[in-house]
Parts: sequence; C-alpha cells; structure tokens
Amino acid sequence: MIAGMADKPEPDGIVLTEAQKKSRRQRSIAIALALGVLVVLFFAVTMVKGPAVLVRPM
Amino acid sequence: MSVLDQNAIDINPRISEAEVGDYIALLKPRGMAMAPGHFHWVLAITSLLCIAVGAGASGALNMALEGDIDSKMSRTANRPIPRGRITRPEAMTFGMTLAFFSVMTLGILVNWIAGALLAFTIFFYVVIYTMGLKRWTAQNIVIGGAAGALPPVVAWAAVTGTVDVEPLLLFAIIFFWTPPHFWALALFRSDDYARAGIPMLPNVAGPDATRLQILLYTIVLIAVAAAPWALGYFDAVYGIVSLILGAGMLVLAINVYIRRERSQSLRATRKLFAFSILYLFALFATLLAEVVYRALAPMVGGA
Repeated sequence: MIAGMADKPEPDGIVLTEAQKKSRRQRSIAIALALGVLVVLFFAVTMVKGPAVLVRPM
Repeated sequence: MSVLDQNAIDINPRISEAEVGDYIALLKPRGMAMAPGHFHWVLAITSLLCIAVGAGASGALNMALEGDIDSKMSRTANRPIPRGRITRPEAMTFGMTLAFFSVMTLGILVNWIAGALLAFTIFFYVVIYTMGLKRWTAQNIVIGGAAGALPPVVAWAAVTGTVDVEPLLLFAIIFFWTPPHFWALALFRSDDYARAGIPMLPNVAGPDATRLQILLYTIVLIAVAAAPWALGYFDAVYGIVSLILGAGMLVLAINVYIRRERSQSLRATRKLFAFSILYLFALFATLLAEVVYRALAPMVGGA
C-alpha cells in the first residue's frame, strides 16, 4: 500500500472528470457571453442617453 | 405549451418554462407600443430583454421550488429538474442571478419604477403564487394571475416612468382571462393536479362549480376586453374584433358548461383552452395593429 502510494502520488485537490471539465467550459462560455452582452448594452445605452444616462425618474 | 419559448430571450429556455409567467414575454411589447412619447429603440430592446430575462428568472425559480410536484404531473415530468438534468440548487442560483441582473439592468438603464415593478412581478410569481397560493387555495390562479398580467404595466412604466389607466386595462384583460384559461386546463388535467396534491378548483369545488366559474369569468372578460374601446382609447375596429373574439370564448365556455359527459367534456375543455390562447394573442395583436396604424397613418397621408 505504502509502496503503491510512493509509485503513484495522489494529485492535489479535486480532479474533475472529462464531463465535468466540459460542463465547466460551457458554463464559462455562457458567463463570458452574458458579460459581453451586458457590456455592449451599457455602452449602447450610454451612447444613446449621453449625459442624461445619470438622469432617471424616482 | 409555453408562449415564453417563442418570445423570451433567455439563456436556458427549458428551465425557464413556466405557467402563469409564460405569458410575460408575449404580453410585454403591447404595453410598450401603446405608451405615448418617443422611446429610443435601444432602450426598447433593453426593456424587452430585461423583462424577458425576468420572465425566465420567474420560470427557473418556479421550477426550482416545484421539482417535487413537477415529477408527479405528466405535463411537467419532462422538465429539466424531474429528468435529473439540473439540480434544484442550480436552478435556484440560475433564477436568482437572472432575477437580480434583469431588475438591476432595467432600473439602471431605463428607470427605477419599471425596475421595481419587474422585481415585484417576479416576487409575486415566485413567493406569493408559487410558494403560497398554489398549494394553499383553489383561488391560486385567480390571484396569481396578477403576476402574468403585470408585464404591460412594466412596459408602460419603462416608456413613461408612470402607471396610467391604459396599462391597467391591459392588466385587467389578462387578469380576467387567466381563470377561464387555466381552469379549462385544470378540468382536463385534474388527475395530474390531484396526484400532485395541488388544490385546483375542479379538485376542490368539483368540475360543475368550475364550469360555472369559467362561464362567469368569461362574461366579465368580454366586458373588460371591450373597455379600451368603450372608454375611447381605441377605435371601433378593436371594439368589434374584441366582441367577435369574446363571442367565440362565450360559445366555447357555454359548451364547457353544458357538456358534462366525460369524452364530450374533455373535448369541450380542450377546445376552450386552445381558443383562449388564440383569443388573447388576437386581441393584443389587434391593439398592436391599431397602434402601428396610428403611428404610420400620418406618414402615409403626408407622403
């Protein structure tokens, strides 16, 4: 047992399966796209409103 | 059937599919089109996007909270949580994130009255309807229908920064349309609802009482749907279309009331359910057409 562990050391932390890695990659892409949309949206509205972007009812 | 699937722009349409909230994304542009004043198209798209995402948030949170009963009903058994594709905590996190960003974006970029109304719509649908009314009272979809009826008010507020009579009329139309629509569904899906332990009216008061309620609400709906014409907000074209469509609803509601034998009753309720979807779509399409005509008529006339 000890000899076996010495031959093949335990990796540090959690090791993701291929399916989990794929899932994480898809999540990251979705978050990146959502962030991109938000950035474009805020930029576009700022261009449209100009200085009035800070003026809102209520 | 999910109207949301056809209209909403959300990240995960399957998890965002819902019941009363399905109609949020469909109904919203009507409130926006009717509202007076100039509204830049970028702000219009922003508002549409925020309300569509808010509708998706409501659906995701609804499914996160109802994973247990969805698995017991054939209509909802194929949703992502009962099928095991998404866990309830994942759906809850997804829904909360969508809700937060949709409300904040609408508030910051458009105005805070619209943002607050969208937040209230999501709160009403998730907390008042899903967590409270749905499992507690047979009047669940009557009161809960307010969540599905609010989007035109949100849209109006996005354009004007206020709430006025016109969007409240649209609210009233959807509010009184909801009971005949969902009780027709509940009549032919009563086994489903009984298995899930949801106190829908046919399971609590019986099918005959439900048929009477459908008929009474349909009569009120026809009067409310004609109100925008009667009060002078819309022309006779809308008034006549609303009365013709209302006559269709009334005939089918009477049919549901009369036909009580099992197979005939099933056919009658399915017909009313299907027509009620067409009814609301056609009614609001007519409103939209009249608004577009009004906007285009001076240009065509002046050319």
